[in-house]
Amino acid sequence: MSKFRPLTAYEEPLRDGYQLLPFRFTRLDDNDYVVTNQAGEFLVIDRSTLSDLVRHELPSTGLAYNDLKSKHVLTDADSSVATELLALKVRTKLRRLADFTSLHLFVVSLRCEHSCPYCQVSRQSDDKLAFDMTPETADKALELVFRSPSPALKIEFQGGEPLLNFPLIRHVVLKAETLNQVAGRDLQFVIATNLALLDDEVLDFCRAHDVLLSTSLDGPPDLHNLNRPRPGGDSYERTVRGIHRARGVLGRDRVSALMTTTQASLPRAREIIDEYIRQGFDGIFLRALSPYGFAIKTKSFTAYDMEKWLGFYFDGLDYILEMNKAGHFFAEHYATTILTKMLTPFDTGYVDLMSPAGIGIAAVVYNYDGNVYASDEGRMLAEMGDTTFRLGNVHNDQYEDIFLSDNLLQPLEESFASSAPMCSDCAFEPWCGADPVFHYATQGDFVGRKPESAFCTRHMAIVRRLITMMRDDENARDIFLRWVNP
Amino acid sequence: MAFSVEVFSLDTLKKAAYRMSDVAVIDIAPSGENIICTMKFRQPLSAEDVDQAVSTFKLEVLDQDLRASIGTETDAMRNAILALAFSKSGLSG
Repeated sequence: MSKFRPLTAYEEPLRDGYQLLPFRFTRLDDNDYVVTNQAGEFLVIDRSTLSDLVRHELPSTGLAYNDLKSKHVLTDADSSVATELLALKVRTKLRRLADFTSLHLFVVSLRCEHSCPYCQVSRQSDDKLAFDMTPETADKALELVFRSPSPALKIEFQGGEPLLNFPLIRHVVLKAETLNQVAGRDLQFVIATNLALLDDEVLDFCRAHDVLLSTSLDGPPDLHNLNRPRPGGDSYERTVRGIHRARGVLGRDRVSALMTTTQASLPRAREIIDEYIRQGFDGIFLRALSPYGFAIKTKSFTAYDMEKWLGFYFDGLDYILEMNKAGHFFAEHYATTILTKMLTPFDTGYVDLMSPAGIGIAAVVYNYDGNVYASDEGRMLAEMGDTTFRLGNVHNDQYEDIFLSDNLLQPLEESFASSAPMCSDCAFEPWCGADPVFHYATQGDFVGRKPESAFCTRHMAIVRRLITMMRDDENARDIFLRWVNP
Repeated sequence: MAFSVEVFSLDTLKKAAYRMSDVAVIDIAPSGENIICTMKFRQPLSAEDVDQAVSTFKLEVLDQDLRASIGTETDAMRNAILALAFSKSGLSG
């Protein structure tokens, strides 16, 4: 007797029919729909297949049937492990929740020698020491950092310009390393700096303590210096010099860069990308401006709408794809974050695209004055006079007070995308986020009306474009797979 | 627009109306065996755009009706899968 059933056994229609598993669908275009299972795996089908599927009229001998079965959209008597496998995939996607807070942002100074009109931080001029974090405050914050159960802890120093308070950075790194001798976590440090004040002392310390540098590079010299004014008008020159100098000491992969899009950037996506290639980066994060801090005061945020930003983004994405097709590996990091959710079993932990939201439970901010905020954007709102996302103060409050505070739990609970209107039946929800701070800042409540949400408009448009690219262009799909599995 | 209560539920129409709320405010009023939906556009639209919006709303109603069918059949399974997923995560009760 053969060990295998004959081929004809697989070609016979199943007599018992099939059962639907939980899935969501969203229209992709006039003909097609995107279907996602509970773990965020997806496929594209046409409207008639979708209708047949729901009415239990889909023939078990068709190609669509097997595709839908393999993606756990339906199950039948022939697939007994579907539910357990799906549960395993859901658990894998959500595994970061158990780790709790891994990213800890220390705002070591609000001082800055730049005066960027889009700055989200509400900077102070660089001679006001009152806006520096003290060692006493930092020590209290470090106690909270090591209370987190996360096996990996990343401490990121922000400002203002954090190098204006470098003695405190040194203090925190040394103290954290001492504490970690007992705690035994995977400990990492990052300084988010404009590099204008980089010197040998800083670089030697970074090399000795494995500190990464993250800087801002907005594009070619004229655009960067327009966006990021400083005395002498030489921000670009200092940044680029700093990037190369830091790479020489720390190593090529120890220095990263971020750009911010302003109205002046909108027609120049390709030039900005060319600048990143010229400086030796293998990717770029084409970022939108956030509705916080000086960006609101100077009306930078309202200067362009989401449609214009999407035009900029898609022009850049098309250009990057052309480049990859020509053989040059170069990734767009926002797309990579979404694609990782779509094409792998894992979540990236990118705070803006998490549900439950990443505020507090993935990242938390310790301000220079000891106030603790659920996110960097929550701190920016506080600088504008709104303390909705203030969780407590390191000098007055215990770990439990801070992480069980109503200012954290309420937005987390209310904004949970799986139960938010419109998100709850959106096929793109497994790849999206709740972002209660954005919706609070723009609409005044943690959930927001999604049809009017710039966050939703942006995410839906990008996801539709990525799926369309993969459906219509096999090369694009291969390139995207390389981005998520470099 | 009139939708038969024999075919579409009030909940289905409400969900479809919510999705269109960036374009139009939609009044929903039961009337005998029908539910009457009246679109009030938030900005003046051309006749062509109005036709497009009405078609989009009707398609959205059909989509929401399909979602309701899926929910009826799969809600219990969705909760069971979530329970199974969290039962081995160390996060449950």
